[in-house]
Amino acid sequence: MQKKNTISNNQIKNLLITTIIGVGILSLPSNMATILDNDGWAAILASGLLIVPFILMIDRLFKMYPNKDIFEIGEEVLGRVLFTVLLIVLLLYTIITLAYGSRIFGEVIKGYLLDRTPIKVIIITMLLAAAYISRTEIEVLGRMATMVYPILIILIVFIAMISIPKGDYTNILPVFNADFRLLPKGILISIFSYAGYEIIVLAYSASDSKGDTLKYVLRGLFIVIGIYLITFFSTLSQLGINQLKRRIWPTIAIANEVDLPGYFIENLDGIVLALWVLIVYTTIGPILYTGGKTLSYIFNTRSHDMFILPLIPLIYILSIIPDNIISVYENMGTILGYMVIASNIAIPFLIFVVALIRKRRSKA
Amino acid sequence: MKRLFLILFLLPFISGCWDKVEIEQRAFVTSIGIDVNQGQEEKDKLTVTYQYPNINAIGKNAGVGSPNYLLTANSSSVFQAGRQFVSREPFPFHYKHLKVIILGEDLLKEESLLRAVLDELNRDTKVNKRVRIIAADRTAKEIMEASFNKEQRTEGTIYATVRDNTKTGSFTSKSLADLITDFDISGVTLVPKISLDEQNNFVISGGAILKDYKFLGWIDASENKIINLINGNMIVDTLDVIYEGHLISFVITETTTDRNIKFDHEIKANIDVLVEGYLQGYVLSDKNTVGDNETVLSMERTLEEEIMKVVNRTLIHLKDIKADLLGIGEHISKFHPKKWEKIEDQWDEVFADAKININVDVKMRRIGLTK
Repeated sequence: MQKKNTISNNQIKNLLITTIIGVGILSLPSNMATILDNDGWAAILASGLLIVPFILMIDRLFKMYPNKDIFEIGEEVLGRVLFTVLLIVLLLYTIITLAYGSRIFGEVIKGYLLDRTPIKVIIITMLLAAAYISRTEIEVLGRMATMVYPILIILIVFIAMISIPKGDYTNILPVFNADFRLLPKGILISIFSYAGYEIIVLAYSASDSKGDTLKYVLRGLFIVIGIYLITFFSTLSQLGINQLKRRIWPTIAIANEVDLPGYFIENLDGIVLALWVLIVYTTIGPILYTGGKTLSYIFNTRSHDMFILPLIPLIYILSIIPDNIISVYENMGTILGYMVIASNIAIPFLIFVVALIRKRRSKA
Repeated sequence: MKRLFLILFLLPFISGCWDKVEIEQRAFVTSIGIDVNQGQEEKDKLTVTYQYPNINAIGKNAGVGSPNYLLTANSSSVFQAGRQFVSREPFPFHYKHLKVIILGEDLLKEESLLRAVLDELNRDTKVNKRVRIIAADRTAKEIMEASFNKEQRTEGTIYATVRDNTKTGSFTSKSLADLITDFDISGVTLVPKISLDEQNNFVISGGAILKDYKFLGWIDASENKIINLINGNMIVDTLDVIYEGHLISFVITETTTDRNIKFDHEIKANIDVLVEGYLQGYVLSDKNTVGDNETVLSMERTLEEEIMKVVNRTLIHLKDIKADLLGIGEHISKFHPKKWEKIEDQWDEVFADAKININVDVKMRRIGLTK
């Protein structure tokens, strides 16, 4: 039987949402509140909108070179050598992102749920499970994303619902009072929460109706912005600005500290984290897939699955290098902050501009 | 052969819950009392008391034995005490169901110790931050020993009493998260006060004012009611006043507060409180009926006067100790952030000098079934 290996636009949207939303959602409200106080939402919104032009560029690029995938386009535009160099940068970024993600995953699970399990076991189990999904083709990733997407939405709706009755909405005030000169700094941090959107570069060429992929991708991005804003406002109204800044993972805190009258279940961190594991899984899986695909192009092989397992020890070693959780956020986070700009913004921009110049020249 | 190897390979993974812990073998701490261990300079500054239910003695086929256990130790921190109990108690402690923390009076007066205790509780991943905080007017140990074994519920009657303000407004239910938020915003907070009566039963009424993690003073139940009334924490409560020689009791069902702050040379705060409720009891007589609107209005006026008396007393008390429990600082920081930046540092003095005008408007919406 011939595998079709194409995915629908709806699956691309789901893949985009589930890939972007991962470990960042737990700490994003706190990070934004630390920089911009009550106006942290501005950075979340701004950095989300900042992604839009790059999505448009990617879309334009695929319209310029129809029926080609990103590797063929990149090679044609930049030449094999330069493109390979860029891909190596991308690969490095992918590996560090995965290490960062799996380390935070391990820390959260160890902190809240499995306090006697070694963190190494938690990280390795997660990476091996993600390796299974990332050895498949994009079509399978799309189906997995479509399965996890409702769970993600349920989780967000749940978080919003439990914070509605007891939240103090005046906690959101004062708005527009922060020092907006800090906005670029805020964007620099929050843009990392949108990392993972590069999965669309791989998904675009596999779409079964390429005409309106853009519409679905943009819709997906706006859903992500919406989810981040809901999380920010829920945590802010529930915890207040000072507690929000103090907490490392405020999003779990509000699920854990729900206290409604007549509410017989308490300590919901177990349920919320169980759902969150799936969300992290759909982040690590596709990003690992991106890494495998990149290596497969660099080494010019037909399939990418043989590169996945060798990547895992590398990711694992990187993930256990930081001494503690603060160092994960400070050191790895800072490195990634710059790398995300290089790989998610500079590289698509470079390919697009060069492609544009080439097209113009060939027409003239 | 291949299949056999596969089965052998899978064997280690089907061991199941080999390290499971039965529920009877866990000690779920429900209440912790914390006191200062007097006379200790360096180590073991705290006296920590744990209370946890005897899981065997509750439920349908309850075994014999006391329903609760109580353990006390001198320790350097709250959780350190749990480790010290290991030599006396066979099972490990679990803090996930911790409901109540009772702070002894002497602890409230030691700022650095109180800060250390609260940080430890706030930092821990297992303790739920909605654990209720209570201030004792004696040592917490005494309170816990008095209520020990009088209760049938696993979570404790103290918790059931202070859980929320749906039954009374004579104290202000306060969780750990609320407490820390209050300190962050205005620096002042109100914690329910627990004491013992002559029969050695616990009584929760009134509150302790804490300011910047330090004890400031006690307030009584009627003052606490007023503070709850102004802050909108009052859900249901009764007011008793004498109207034309007869006692009327008025049930408060809803309060709405509107704060209006003006900035001239000084701060003028106008707090309008709308109190709605119904008449619960008057007197069964032919002469005294609530037949016309006039009577209702004059009853409302009497209630207003009666409330205003306590309001003024409370206001003087609060200004005297410079404790902004009326949410004025919070209101300014949220609605007038620019002004707040200027006065934030000397808020205590500004509050003490501010002109605070509280207007209470009572509306008797219903009078019951009879006139």
